[in-house]
Amino acid sequence: MNSFSIGRYVPYNSFVHRLDPRDKILGSILLMVCVFLPISGWAMTFTMSGILFILTMILLWCTHSSIRDILSSLRSMWMMILFLLLIYILMPHSNPTLGQAWNWNGWIVYWDSFAEAGKIVLRLLMMVELTMILTASTKPLDLTYAFEWYLTPLKWLHFPAHEVAMTISIALRFIPTLLDDTNRVMKAQESRGVDFAHGRLWKRLTALTSLIIPLFVSAFMRSEELANAMECRGYDPKAKRTRYRLLHWRWFDWISLVVVLAIFALFLYVTIAHFDAYLFFWGLQVV
Amino acid sequence: MAITFKEVFYIYNRKTPLETEALNGISFSIEKGSFTALVGRTGCGKSTLVQHINALLNPSAGEVDIDGWINSAEKKKRSKHVKDLRKHVGLVFQFPEYQLFEETVEKDVAFAPKNFGMNEEDALKAAHAALRSVGLNESFDKRSPFELSGGEKRKVAIAGILAFHPDILVVDEPTAGLDPLGAKAMMALFAQIHQSGTTVVLVTHDMNIVLAYCDKVVVLDDGKIAAITDPVSLFSQDIEKYSLETPLLYKMVKDLEGQGAHFDLQAIKDIPSLADQLVALKGAKR
Repeated sequence: MNSFSIGRYVPYNSFVHRLDPRDKILGSILLMVCVFLPISGWAMTFTMSGILFILTMILLWCTHSSIRDILSSLRSMWMMILFLLLIYILMPHSNPTLGQAWNWNGWIVYWDSFAEAGKIVLRLLMMVELTMILTASTKPLDLTYAFEWYLTPLKWLHFPAHEVAMTISIALRFIPTLLDDTNRVMKAQESRGVDFAHGRLWKRLTALTSLIIPLFVSAFMRSEELANAMECRGYDPKAKRTRYRLLHWRWFDWISLVVVLAIFALFLYVTIAHFDAYLFFWGLQVV
Repeated sequence: MAITFKEVFYIYNRKTPLETEALNGISFSIEKGSFTALVGRTGCGKSTLVQHINALLNPSAGEVDIDGWINSAEKKKRSKHVKDLRKHVGLVFQFPEYQLFEETVEKDVAFAPKNFGMNEEDALKAAHAALRSVGLNESFDKRSPFELSGGEKRKVAIAGILAFHPDILVVDEPTAGLDPLGAKAMMALFAQIHQSGTTVVLVTHDMNIVLAYCDKVVVLDDGKIAAITDPVSLFSQDIEKYSLETPLLYKMVKDLEGQGAHFDLQAIKDIPSLADQLVALKGAKR
């Protein structure tokens, strides 16, 4: 079950772990926007992406995760990524600036396509890194608390913020349970001679049903049990409630937020003003 | 020897902060045709150990030899064709009723035999025979497994393993959550399967069952082997340190012995055999 390492909380006590979850959610959203801002000019694009990539790598290192974990959890998607890249490279490019890579009887492939493909890979990696940093360093419950906190203004509009947050926290809470169930049912079926990894398509489909049906059955059973248990304890979503775990916004949350905002502002400026550092500082005319 | 463990270690979540050592240098063997109990407190590694017999887990270090099929930590030494092993070793998980998925009971029981290469007709025949052996009559064959009671589901799931006639049967707490009569019938079934020559490995917390059915006991404690004995010599020790409880029957026998009676301890398995001894004792006194 190694492919599930993305999205799992990893209990360390790092600087990133100690940040307020509200700060982390906002910060990762801002950084994700940075990842996708369209910057003009290849040189500038790759410079800025490089800066961001180094930053995410540092954060990743802080949470004790490694790029190897990410690559191994993306293993199942490699074929798809390669296919995507191939299409990117082979598709005609609208306004090339980097010149032709080759020309086969009028079918021209530009170096721009390669740059484009590289940009896509970098963006994908950074997205996965950022989500991993967030989920590996934050307990799912803290995430929901933060989420509920962001939804509180909507309560004025009679939006069921607490109910939504509760639903999400239950869903998150049951991910590991369902994974354990999957693991258990898989093993039980494997000892009945099922092979999930090999065999013809039809065989593998029956193998899959032998996994999915018991999972659905146990999921429904669990949800019913949970509903009954909540009912028994007199759960009322409308009731006013206090909380055992409180979120504390501390000085280093401010600092990290300011840093992230500064980075975000820089990216925004570079994007909107078509700022070219090479031209500005060294007078270089790079593509 | 049917199953031999050689210095087996197993570590969960290796190289993460959640790393835990479940098996810590396990070496022992289980004889062909024996009825072995695997006991120990919750979380001592019983279920982990059992999964090595079916190659559902591969050791982190060491080697398990199951009738010549090698489950080793090193990939090179490990035998190929895991299906051969799984056909040879039937593993009944704890709460096996969660593995049911087919539309009808007979189809579900026939699932494993079909996976192991039986044709449809033979598999159904094997399924029917297995269902009868666990005490479910023809009326159950065409019903949906999901409309049965908990105990019946358990029986269907166990029939699903018995249907392909494994040479080694490993059962993880088959009687948990069953009513006393159901549990007794279930154990009688395993005893009968053992009589027909199958090697049975039973994971249990119930020492009465161990006394009544098993000829060998392996006690696990914190991932290590604490003792390998027969039930009677086990119960003569202080076993509370392994979180085990001396069977009531054995306590009574001990009390009687304290009053001066002498018994053939190895022959006492359950209430009828104790009664026989008591009658014999009374006869000798006259």
